Amino acid sequence: MLNVDLNKLAELLNNQISGANATVHFPEDLKKCDPSLTVEASKIFQVAQFLKSHPETPFNSLHVISGVDYVDWMEVAYVLTHYSLENPRQMILKVKLTDRVNPVLDSIVKVYAAANFQEREVFDMFGIRFNNHPDLRRILCPDDWKGWPLRKDYVAQKDYNGMAVYPDGKMNFEDREFIIRQDMIKKAQEAKAH
Amino acid sequence: MQTRWDIGEPERPTINEETEQLKSDLLTLNMGPQHPATHGVLRIEIWTDSEIVAHAIPHLGYLHRCMEKHAENLDFRGVIPFVDRLDYLASMNMEWTYVAAIEKMLGTEVPRRGELLRIMTAELQRIGSHLMAFGTYALDLGAFTPFLYAFEEREKILRLFEEVSGARLLYNYIWIGGVWNDWTDEQLERVSQFCDTMEIEAKKYHELVSMNKIFVQRTANVGVFSLDDCFNYGASGPVLRGSGLKWDLRKVAPYSLYPEFDFDVPVGEGEVGVVGDCWNRYYVRMKEVIESIKIIRQVLNKLEAGPVMGKVPKVIKLPKGEVYLRHECPRGELAFHLVSEGDAKKPYRLKVKSPCFTHISMLPHVAPGQMIADFVATVGSIDIVLGEVDR
Repeated sequence: MLNVDLNKLAELLNNQISGANATVHFPEDLKKCDPSLTVEASKIFQVAQFLKSHPETPFNSLHVISGVDYVDWMEVAYVLTHYSLENPRQMILKVKLTDRVNPVLDSIVKVYAAANFQEREVFDMFGIRFNNHPDLRRILCPDDWKGWPLRKDYVAQKDYNGMAVYPDGKMNFEDREFIIRQDMIKKAQEAKAH
Repeated sequence: MQTRWDIGEPERPTINEETEQLKSDLLTLNMGPQHPATHGVLRIEIWTDSEIVAHAIPHLGYLHRCMEKHAENLDFRGVIPFVDRLDYLASMNMEWTYVAAIEKMLGTEVPRRGELLRIMTAELQRIGSHLMAFGTYALDLGAFTPFLYAFEEREKILRLFEEVSGARLLYNYIWIGGVWNDWTDEQLERVSQFCDTMEIEAKKYHELVSMNKIFVQRTANVGVFSLDDCFNYGASGPVLRGSGLKWDLRKVAPYSLYPEFDFDVPVGEGEVGVVGDCWNRYYVRMKEVIESIKIIRQVLNKLEAGPVMGKVPKVIKLPKGEVYLRHECPRGELAFHLVSEGDAKKPYRLKVKSPCFTHISMLPHVAPGQMIADFVATVGSIDIVLGEVDR
C-alpha cells in the first residue's frame, strides 16, 4: 500500500517460511482500491514474527485486525505499519478461513501487543478463536451474549436475561437480507452434503 | 465460550523497601462505569494494594451501539450521521475520514473551495476537541476553572458550526463530493477573529495550567509510555508524539491539500518531566492548537469563490475491492477499512480503526505500580472518547 513491494515480499515469505503460500491480490484499479497479501492461516504467527524482525523491511507496529465474512469463507485482515519518518510503510496482510463452525487462528499477541484487544474484538464479532491468547473474552458484547454479530447469517437474540432486545418489528425491514443470507448458507451446505 | 477472568494472583510491583513492608491484601476497586474521570462509560477494574495499583482491567462495551452492523444495512450516504456519533467531540474529522474513503473508491474530485473548507472545519474541530481535552483533564486533576475557560472558546467554534451546518455537535456537514453548505464572508471573518482571540487565550491557559506547580506535580513523570511501548501497542496521535516521535500523517503521508500548508508537528520534548509522560502528552495538544490556528489562517488566505460540491452520481455504487484509509484526527489515527462487493449500494463491511481503543489497551501495561490518583491522571491524559471505543 505505502512503500511496500508486495510481489517481492511474497517471494521472500515463500522462500523463508515453508508452506506460507503467500499470494498477492492486486485490484483492477490501484488508484481506487488497495492491494493485499494473503498467507496460509496456519502460518500467521511465523509470518508476523518474520515481518516484525525482518532486517530490511520491518513492520514495527500492528494497527488493526479486521474480520470480513464472505459467507463461503471468512477473512481476517491485519494492517501492519512501520513507524519511521524516513520510509513509512503500511500493508494489509490477510488470512482465509474456510471453516465456519470452528474457525481457529494462532494468536500474535506475543509478536505485537496491540493484537490483544484487536483479537478479542474479532473473536467477539466473528467467533474466530485464537490459540495462545492470554485472555480471550468478549470485549464489546456482554460475556453471556449469544452468536457472532458481524457474521452475515447472524440473527439477534430476542431477549437477553429477561430483557426484550429485539422485539418483533423493531429493527428495519432490511433485516430480510439476513434471512436471504441464511438460505444461501443452507443451500451451500446441502450442496456440500451431496 | 470462555467467560471468566482467571489469571490468578498478579505479580505485585515493588516501589521501595518502605512499601514492601506495607504490603496488604489486594482490594478490587471498580472505577466506573459512572466515574467522572473515565470520560463516559468506561469501567476499569483495579486491583489495589492499599493506594498502589497492582493490576488494571478495562471493561469496554457500555456504549456499544453495533455501528458496524448498522452500516452494513445503510446506503453509503446514510452512514455519515452514524459516523458522527463515533467520536462526538470531533465529528468533522470522523466524517471527513469516512467520506474520503468513499471518494477514493469512487474517484470523485472535490472542488478546491470545498477541500479548503474541509481542512478549515477539521482544524477548527481539532481546536475544539483539544480544548475539551484541556478542560476535562484539568477537571480530572481537581481544577475547575480551566474547564470554564475552555468551554467559553469552544462555544465560539460550536456556534460557527451550528450556523453553517445546523447542529452543534453532530453535523452531517461533510458530504461525498464536498461540503453541503458554503461559509459566508461574515462567518469567515469571525473565524479570523476567533484565531486572534484563541492565540491570546492559549497563552492564558499556559499561565493558568501548564506551568502551574500543582499541575506539574500531578502530571510530570507520571504514566510514562516509552516509544517501544507505543510501537508495540500501535499508538498514534498525541500519545505517540508525546513520546517523542514526530509522526503526523499530515506530514508523513500527506492527504488532501496539506502539502500546501506550512506548519510544524509538535512533539514531547521533556521541558517538564520526561518525554512520554502525562505532562508531555498534554503539552503536545496545547501546541497543536497553535499549529491548527496557523493552518486556518492560511486557509483563509487561500480561499477563493467557487463551488463547494463536486459531481457525484445520484446512486453511489463502488467497485469491487477494499480500501484502508486513515486520517490524523485529534485523538490519533482514525482509519476506515471499507470492503465493497461491487455494484452494491451499501458497504459490505465497514471496520473502524479507533485510536482510543488502541490507547486503552495500553493502560494495563502502564498501571502496575502507580498510585490510584496517578492512574486517574494517566487515563485522562490519553483523552478517550467512549463513543469511538465502543462503536
